Amino acid sequence: MNDAALDEVKAAPTKKPAAALSAVNRILRYSLVRIVMLFITVVIVIYLCVLVANMGGYVDEIRRGSIREEVSVAIFADQSPDIKGLTSAQKKELIEGRVALEVKRLGLDKPFIIRSFIFLKDAMTLNLGFAEQMVSDSGSKSVKLILLERLPPTLVLWGAANLLLFFLTLFIGLYLSRRYGSLLDRITLALAPTSSAPGWFYGLFLILIFAAVLKVLPFGGMVDAPPPESKLMYALSLGKHLILPVSAVIIANVFLGAYNQRTFFLIYSQEDYVEMAKAKGLTDREIERKYVLRPTLPTIITQFALTIITLWTGAPILETIFNWPGLGRALYRAIGLYDTPVIVGSQVIYAYLLAFTVFLLDFIYALVDPRVRVGAGGRKA
Amino acid sequence: MARKLIAVLGALVVLSMVLTACATPTPETIVETVIETVEVEVEKTVEVEVPVEVEVEKPVEVIVEVTPEPVDRQGAWLDTVIISEEPSSDSAVTRIEVGDIDVYAYSIAEPDIADRIFASDNVAYETSYGSYNEITFNPVLEFEDGSLNPFGVPAIREAMNWLIDRDYIAQEICGGLARPRFVPINFASTDMAVLADVVAGIELTYAYNPEKAAEVITAEMEALGAEMVDGIWQYNGEPVEIIGLIRTEDERLAIGDYVSNVLEDIGFTVTRDYKTSAEASPCWISSDPVGGCFNFYTGGWVSTAISRDEATNFQFFYTPDGLPFPLWAAYTPTDEFYALSTDLANSAFASMDERQDMMATALDMAMKDSVRIWLKDDTGVAPHKTNVTLASDLSGSIYGSQIWGQTMKFTDQVGGSLNLAMPSIMTEPWNPIAGTNWVYDMMPIRGTQGRAVVPDPFTGLNLPMRLAKAEVVIETGLPVVQSLDWATLEFADEIVVPDDAWADWDAESQTFITAGERFTETTTAKSKVVMYYEDDFFDTAKWHDGSPYTIGDFVMFMIMAFDQAKEASPVYDEAQVPNFNSFMAAFKGWRIVSEDPFVLEYYTDAYQLDAENNVTNFRAAHPSDYGNGSEAPWHTVEIGWLTEANGEAAFSSDKADALDVEWMSYIAGPTLDILKAKLDEAQEANLIPYEPTLGKYITAEEATSRYANLQEWFRRYGHFWVGSGPFYLQKAFPVEGTLILQHYDDYPDMASRWDGYSGAPIPVVTVDGPGDVAIGDEATFDIFVDLNDEPYPSDDISMVKYLVFDATGQLVFTGDAEAAGDGYYQAVLSAELTGKLEAGSNQLAAIAVSKRALIPVIETLDFVTK
Repeated sequence: MNDAALDEVKAAPTKKPAAALSAVNRILRYSLVRIVMLFITVVIVIYLCVLVANMGGYVDEIRRGSIREEVSVAIFADQSPDIKGLTSAQKKELIEGRVALEVKRLGLDKPFIIRSFIFLKDAMTLNLGFAEQMVSDSGSKSVKLILLERLPPTLVLWGAANLLLFFLTLFIGLYLSRRYGSLLDRITLALAPTSSAPGWFYGLFLILIFAAVLKVLPFGGMVDAPPPESKLMYALSLGKHLILPVSAVIIANVFLGAYNQRTFFLIYSQEDYVEMAKAKGLTDREIERKYVLRPTLPTIITQFALTIITLWTGAPILETIFNWPGLGRALYRAIGLYDTPVIVGSQVIYAYLLAFTVFLLDFIYALVDPRVRVGAGGRKA
Repeated sequence: MARKLIAVLGALVVLSMVLTACATPTPETIVETVIETVEVEVEKTVEVEVPVEVEVEKPVEVIVEVTPEPVDRQGAWLDTVIISEEPSSDSAVTRIEVGDIDVYAYSIAEPDIADRIFASDNVAYETSYGSYNEITFNPVLEFEDGSLNPFGVPAIREAMNWLIDRDYIAQEICGGLARPRFVPINFASTDMAVLADVVAGIELTYAYNPEKAAEVITAEMEALGAEMVDGIWQYNGEPVEIIGLIRTEDERLAIGDYVSNVLEDIGFTVTRDYKTSAEASPCWISSDPVGGCFNFYTGGWVSTAISRDEATNFQFFYTPDGLPFPLWAAYTPTDEFYALSTDLANSAFASMDERQDMMATALDMAMKDSVRIWLKDDTGVAPHKTNVTLASDLSGSIYGSQIWGQTMKFTDQVGGSLNLAMPSIMTEPWNPIAGTNWVYDMMPIRGTQGRAVVPDPFTGLNLPMRLAKAEVVIETGLPVVQSLDWATLEFADEIVVPDDAWADWDAESQTFITAGERFTETTTAKSKVVMYYEDDFFDTAKWHDGSPYTIGDFVMFMIMAFDQAKEASPVYDEAQVPNFNSFMAAFKGWRIVSEDPFVLEYYTDAYQLDAENNVTNFRAAHPSDYGNGSEAPWHTVEIGWLTEANGEAAFSSDKADALDVEWMSYIAGPTLDILKAKLDEAQEANLIPYEPTLGKYITAEEATSRYANLQEWFRRYGHFWVGSGPFYLQKAFPVEGTLILQHYDDYPDMASRWDGYSGAPIPVVTVDGPGDVAIGDEATFDIFVDLNDEPYPSDDISMVKYLVFDATGQLVFTGDAEAAGDGYYQAVLSAELTGKLEAGSNQLAAIAVSKRALIPVIETLDFVTK
């Protein structure tokens, strides 16, 4: 996507005031157009999200049915004499009254199409509002708090796992690309298919080995119960609880990741200019740093940036296996409850993060790659 | 070489995974970490003493030995209960096996996990019978598109009882964690105990008989004009399609497939529509059944408490009066069945014997109607370590037990810290007026709360907790019975409501409206309950923050019963109105007879069949029946009241949504700061809530003392959750999913008070007798009813019946066994009776029901007549 917006230039611009002004204008114009395009994209994506989360309005029917069922069961199960003693007509009146209130509370008395635009407006203005069914861990119905309370545990787990995985695969890949065909390279190649199993699959085995049998690590959770009082002990406890889920993520992805990176670097290692550098007698380190890593930097940065923002989504099954209070489980629960404000709230933040990252990457490319100029080229005739 | 090495490496990885998967976790060694609790003196600024505890974690190796239990421990047996979240039942069982947790408060219904529990030497369990399943039929004969619905014919619905093999469902699909169910009354209920012989007869009549089912269905289908073509039923040249709406979340998926299979076997074309609960509800409960979106639906119901009265089930499940929804509107019971169901629901009978006859007739009619057929009663198991005992509710399991806090203990030590896990905790905000009602939240909440009465976990009869006694007066002719001696029962021709009883509330003047003002003429009630609190109640009962219980707590509760439903009130909540209107339809008045000792009268037209269950926490005005059953002192209610009145947060979710503010939580979250600000305001102004009324019961000094206590409580524990139960909430960790409950030293009861409730006293029945009986000779069979290998005291047995089935499986005789000593009964088959039996193999079924645990136990013995 970025390639289309960026042009290579063959020569550095002449540093004159007029040219500098022109460059600023070009960057501003480009930024404006880019922001507008990204904004329109975000609007479309969010409205689609609203439609999908509500199944085009069918969720209203589901909610009405669920309300009736829940109210009926609650009245039926109520053993108090004041409810048991009601006549059939009184019970019906009670049920209808409670159903009507719940329908009103959820706004189901208004047409979906109107509510869909209210959802969109609130989402775009980041007015995330209140959840319909869910509450945050601390009991708040605020969508912002529902998401924010889960953010730190998510960042800790997925930040640790993904960053570790990212750099591990990067360096292993680089190392293997230099030792193409070695035993280690072939082992990595052989183990790459193990990544077809997800992290939670390995998590089950890790729990069985290290928690149930060896009893050296906890089954799950974020910290010990009760949580330690001192910050140091809390951090240590957190670290202990991170070992298994992070290991599960790494085991599930490291071989394929390393294999991918190794192949990626291998392709760049066979470029003519690298061969030329070798012929010139440059050291391996110099070749790696200047001739392999440098041109691959935009791709690596893109991967890194996307890795960072993907943290926002979490992973529901792995979080469930390890009883980790992450965003993935929260979002999964919201989907199960058809809690549109939470679903949309989560997605709108992800959409903004993605748009912002894409926007930012354009400038980062220009910084790290001298061949790239922001906004150069413009429209093609 | 390298390839071989890689292959070996790969093989080792796979092998290690397989071996690990097969490994059995080893149980823990008996070395435990005990949290010792040390009392520390803290300087106090208020008169009321607040117990302060500082927890010191001190790892101590304890050699576990069974030691005699001291009887002088006050309050709960345990020092600390640490409650955490564990969403996986499978993982929970493993954690119990290896000693990582002590109790998993969840009713497990997955057969494979239950098998692990049964097979483990390190895991004990509690059994419950709360949930059950059925097949709901669409009763419309012809859908709007002209297609035929066979289940519109009662005879075909009835025949489905024979077509479904309930034993297969219970044993194969549910792996033995269920028992076949044929009738619309719960297994754990008074009615099942009383009607056990009637139900046994029905079970035999409707036993699995696919040939008979096929015969009836064929006859009825042909009568409808359908014809069988190449083994497929056709109507107007089209296959007769059955849409099965099959729930996917649990074993109902397999049940739905099984029912679909048997319907296909007899020639129907079945479309399986798999849906979750939410996805299915628009179809089965909301849509007009004429639309034909389903022919059958795999329904499920749950009961969280032992039912003492199942008579309303006929009206609820079989008549249009059950629910105000389209499916129910399509029900067309016979006039006789409708009238009988209505009479049973309205308690239109003069005696319990008459009721029993009516129930038996209604059961028979229900089978013939069969707009739904019943499949199974689930047996859930809740696992715990073998050194833990507790009172688990026969219907609601551990998390439904009202007295788990008083009874949970280690058998090998007094005190100690217990780790309890649940699938979810702090699911919704905790506030006393309209907070969470999730079972997972209610369990820890109950641990922190006192009660006036509690239901017996094994019989459902209310037991006194803070009441000394009660008098129940019922209008003459109404069928109410008394079982226990703490509540007396009298009948009166007329029960007049005194003019000075509080019958309503004026929210503007903040004063009660008396019965004399509310009713223009002298009014009467169908029942009156007089409740006597313990003489020393106000001396012994204390809130967790150290404030003594006062009459203000009771009067505040009475006011709140009305005020939120009054439009003039600052805390008016529209969501409370429907329930309030229902309540007022029967309510006649409250009257304080004596302030100390506290004696209260309650007048109402609503009543229950058991005298004891006419005494409730609500009627006793005990401030433990706010909202969903939460206890709170007046001063914590007051700060929430101020918050809601100021529009900053709301007690109920409905009002919070309406005002676009937070739902109030007393234990965590953003509303704590708001509540704290309101406490500061209340303390500064020394507010007495509803002063025109409560000003007579609450002094300024009491208000000062209470607000100071609450400030100190909040400073120490960081929340406003104050109860009077055996535990207090020390701390909530919402994100980490952990709650810590600590022993409350000032709880008034001794720990041993509820010891008799550690384990349901379900009898064990064995039958012995002659294997061969000569036709025309008298035969005597011995029935032994035991508990823990000891004879069951006859005084505790409500009935021992026997049923005789002949060689053709027909029920030929029912009789009461004769008591011949504690736990020993005899069934004597007279010469006349055996003379009527044909030669062949017969069966005698003995049914015993205890007064202490409402689970009928059936044992059979085959004998041969020659």
